[in-house]
Amino acid sequence: MTDATEAPRILLDNVSLSYATPRGRLPVVDRVSLAVDRAEFVVLVGPSGCGKSTILRAIAGLNAAESGMIAVDGKTVDGPPEHIGFMFQKDTLLPWLTVRENIEVGLDLAGISPALRAQRVADMLVLLRLSDFRDAYPAQLSGGMRHRVSLGRMLAYEPAVMLMDEPFGALDFQTKAAMGRELLRIWEAERRSILFVTHDIEEAVALADRVLVFSPRPARIIAEHRIDLPRPRNLRALRASPDFTAYTSAIWEALGDGDQSS
Amino acid sequence: MTDPVIAEEILSPSGSVRESVDFSAWLWRLALIIGLLLIWEFAAGNLFNEFWSSRPSLIGERLLLLLKSGELWRHVHTTVTEALLGLFLGALIGTPIGIALAHYRRAAKIVDPLVMGLYGLPRVALAPMFILWFGISLFSKVMMSFSMVVFVFILNVTEGIRTVDPDMIDLMRTMRAPRSYVMRKVTIPSIVPWLLASFRIGIGLSLVGAVVGELIGANRGLGWYVVRAGGQLDTTGVFAGLFLLMLIAMIANQIIFLIERKVLHWRREAR
Repeated sequence: MTDATEAPRILLDNVSLSYATPRGRLPVVDRVSLAVDRAEFVVLVGPSGCGKSTILRAIAGLNAAESGMIAVDGKTVDGPPEHIGFMFQKDTLLPWLTVRENIEVGLDLAGISPALRAQRVADMLVLLRLSDFRDAYPAQLSGGMRHRVSLGRMLAYEPAVMLMDEPFGALDFQTKAAMGRELLRIWEAERRSILFVTHDIEEAVALADRVLVFSPRPARIIAEHRIDLPRPRNLRALRASPDFTAYTSAIWEALGDGDQSS
Repeated sequence: MTDPVIAEEILSPSGSVRESVDFSAWLWRLALIIGLLLIWEFAAGNLFNEFWSSRPSLIGERLLLLLKSGELWRHVHTTVTEALLGLFLGALIGTPIGIALAHYRRAAKIVDPLVMGLYGLPRVALAPMFILWFGISLFSKVMMSFSMVVFVFILNVTEGIRTVDPDMIDLMRTMRAPRSYVMRKVTIPSIVPWLLASFRIGIGLSLVGAVVGELIGANRGLGWYVVRAGGQLDTTGVFAGLFLLMLIAMIANQIIFLIERKVLHWRREAR
């Protein structure tokens, strides 16, 4: 899977993570190893609260690993690495900034010149079909539009690694599907590394090159599925195909009964 | 694929209709005030002796008299100066303390009972001490006003910073934003609404502080005027002073409202 000459974009080696609680340390992630290639779309699924998000936060340098090694682009993570983008379940837009200004934040911090910045913002607004809303404030937008802005803010500064923590989890079914299509359309045109957390198995199969299935907390990888569906993917046609169903049921299988009984 | 209908609906000037002055509300307000004044005017002298409550017409006459003699301006000016100085001093000192307390949680935990204790203390009871410490000049009234207001800023700003969404800060960190950038783009804008709320609450309190200061020792100001009138059983004078205090508070409140609307325009939802 990994090109012999190129190091993986993200590398986790035997990583354990835990949270400090009043009653001592609570293990959340148990000796996880994984690698994500450049241009690879990897989705983590597992029961909610199992520690998938914690893995993402650790890669972003927001939480420190208890043991093991995390590296992005061959550099050990110690604080937020360069060229990463993060997307939360909430849109986390700055409510006092307009759509345009929100997208500019990432560009500004990436040190992109004002001239280029304006161009990138304009492109992003077109790409996400938000041009009419460039001067609107987040409070004036629907939930789906706010998520598009949030996605735009991350895409605009072109991070090499995108960490997405249930980014569409709070959206209704239709909007979620639309966001998925949008993300695929953009990513298939310009591939970068994505590590995407969800507990929606259909979403996982529809998007991923590879799906990693996690156990309940403390999280361990219990299965790995390579999704060999052709790209560019047409999600509507895909959902009806027998291959798609085979993948989803295999992942259901891997997750076991734990999800249903608890 | 763009949805121009929605775009128009949200951004069209029709949204500004909501911002324009609501005339019918103003009319109702006016009607309510006039109605109450009429009842007062009629009841005093008919239902009970007007000595107990004076009458709106008498109070109006007195206000006119005060205005002509220049006394009105002198008292209003004195009290407003004291209150405003107290209010701004409170903001100037309370805000950084609030920021510091939100930042240094351990220190905040230690001083919290002390702050709350001082906050709960009836400052009115301290008035004699203020005269002793700060004299009977302007300064003691400013300090009284300050002591009422400063806690509002400390507590509001602390709370404001604590309620900043941690995900927003984390997101900034993933983009490797320097501390100063986070302060400028996230922390400060998010405490602005709390600051404005503090000013709104602080206006009333700073006036109370100034008046309390004047009650104890002064030779001018609305508080002093009210107390003197009370001492002379001059109910018309008392109500004239109270009316002016009320008017000042209402005007100040309206000013804050206008500032809020201007500064917090991003909060308004289009509908």
